[in-house]
Amino acid sequence: MTRSVEANPYAPQVACLSRVIDETPTIKTFCFDLADPLAFRAGQFVQLGVPGLGEGPFTPSSSPLDPEHLEVTVLRTGEVTERLHRMQAGDVCTLRGPYGKGYPVEKLEGKDVLVVGGGVGLAPLRALIHQLFAMTDRLGRVVIKNGARETAELLFRDAYEGWAARDRVSVEVTIDRPESGWTGPVGVVTTLLDHVGEDVDVANCYAFTCGPEIMLKFVAMKLLEKGFSAEQIYLSMNRRMSCGVGKCGRCNIGPHYLCKDGPDVCYATIKDYPNVFG
Amino acid sequence: MRPTCYAGEEGLSRLFEAASAGTVFAAVQGSRGPQYVNLHTEPDARFALREPRPSASPKAFLQPIKERVAVYATTGVDAERSSPASERRVVVGLRACDLKAIAYLDKVFQEGSVVDPFYAARRQADVLVSVDCMAAHETCFCTALGGRPFAEDGFDLNLTPLDGGYLVEVGSEKGAQVVEAAGDAVSPATDEQRGQRDERRDEWVRALEAQTGGWRVSDRIQEILLSKDEAQAWGDETAACVECAACTYICPTCHCFYLYDQVGGEEAFERIRTWDSCILGDYHRMAGPAGAKPSPRPGLRTRFANRMLHKYAYSPQQYGMLGCTGCGRCIEACYGGVDIRDVLRELET
Repeated sequence: MTRSVEANPYAPQVACLSRVIDETPTIKTFCFDLADPLAFRAGQFVQLGVPGLGEGPFTPSSSPLDPEHLEVTVLRTGEVTERLHRMQAGDVCTLRGPYGKGYPVEKLEGKDVLVVGGGVGLAPLRALIHQLFAMTDRLGRVVIKNGARETAELLFRDAYEGWAARDRVSVEVTIDRPESGWTGPVGVVTTLLDHVGEDVDVANCYAFTCGPEIMLKFVAMKLLEKGFSAEQIYLSMNRRMSCGVGKCGRCNIGPHYLCKDGPDVCYATIKDYPNVFG
Repeated sequence: MRPTCYAGEEGLSRLFEAASAGTVFAAVQGSRGPQYVNLHTEPDARFALREPRPSASPKAFLQPIKERVAVYATTGVDAERSSPASERRVVVGLRACDLKAIAYLDKVFQEGSVVDPFYAARRQADVLVSVDCMAAHETCFCTALGGRPFAEDGFDLNLTPLDGGYLVEVGSEKGAQVVEAAGDAVSPATDEQRGQRDERRDEWVRALEAQTGGWRVSDRIQEILLSKDEAQAWGDETAACVECAACTYICPTCHCFYLYDQVGGEEAFERIRTWDSCILGDYHRMAGPAGAKPSPRPGLRTRFANRMLHKYAYSPQQYGMLGCTGCGRCIEACYGGVDIRDVLRELET
């Protein structure tokens, strides 16, 4: 990128897809080998797009420690994502970013960390998980709880075993409805939080959750019920975003623009404003 | 700073010519009241500097309705065509409320970690010439929000209409250069002229206060709005709203925009920025299957509330100033007859 374009926050760079991974019937991961690495903090997002069509905000799912290999995991759900899902290695995407604050990793020293994902919500959380794994000696326990509608929609399923094999890391997975051959828990992901007090030291823990808004709402309620304070809960809030830099106006919760002050925000910061959960 | 000077009616035109700008937009007399036109394409237009403010806000000069912000191909970004190009323009006839709105837009687009280069380029190049209000619309209510019908800062040049001419106050180096270049088109202001200015200003503050009945929107408005139970409220206000978004387009501080991409010639793509409005139903809508259309503010009531909250409660937190200047344009523009003054009064009772 040239200097003048860098000063233009709306101009994208173009990036060639090096690989596309089929994750589930509705989710794919788009991989880029970037000559000009896009350094990001876990939880920061990029605007990924299809040339001539448009872009959307996505938080990378790859490790922030490896900025040359950027991966973005995307659920097929609208016009841009539909077209993205039809792209292949060698095709060119538009890319801008990173934007937003990222997870408050600096707060986690000596703390237990609870990670709660639902569906494609595990994607941004994987960037956090990679970050946490790089600092486990400075953390307490890392407890990962993930849910999906059905086994076919369990994201990064091959990785769970490796994560759980790590010292002081546990992984628990549930699916919404019973399925033949599934012996694990059944029910929405909040049911895995019933015994959260046995997994983590509630008073000394931060929780990070990403998934459908309705899930975030019930995760937040459940954690409050289990003794978490609003200050300990971080929600990955999804809003339509356009500029990514706090100018275009549309992603506000109260006076906070999620593109700038989020997208992962402390529940205490937003809970008293209208329209937190749609 | 160069001292205040005086220009006769004829001297005024020469003053703007001295700015040697590619374009001079000025408030002139139109068939439906004062309006901005380009004096270079309409040289016979007559200034409307003693009339009330033009109905359109000057926002479009700094943030055009639509503009291209990037050109790219699959091989990369066209840096030259993705950069702002700015020529000097003079905008004549801005009011104190407009300058306040521009101060607000400056905070949105020029402060914080990211500067909007397109806005900044225009802001840097443009010469802003304001004029004291010597007439007001029935909808004007700047004094209720702590404003006054004349500007004390934020301009390059400010005009006070006097008998047969104008007092010209210099507010910036840019303005000083214009006056310098104008030569004998201007003459030093006399004490008598200054005295006349002060009298007229006092007179117009009194006239506006009389029009608004001395009404002041209280500082409590922020607190009132934040504590309003949205689920129960806003029914009456939104019943009249027809969701045309005219209030947001005409508003001098509303700045929401949307970026979209399109094919721009063979093998090239363009990114276009266009005005958008928080009142419109699709504004917040996220991707999702047809029928689902997830939106955090699906109902008009919540969008109307968000607009009011942004203007009077969130903006003070975000930018240290209200997102409303009391210009009253939204009242004129509304098809449904929503009067923001009534909404504010209702909130305060």
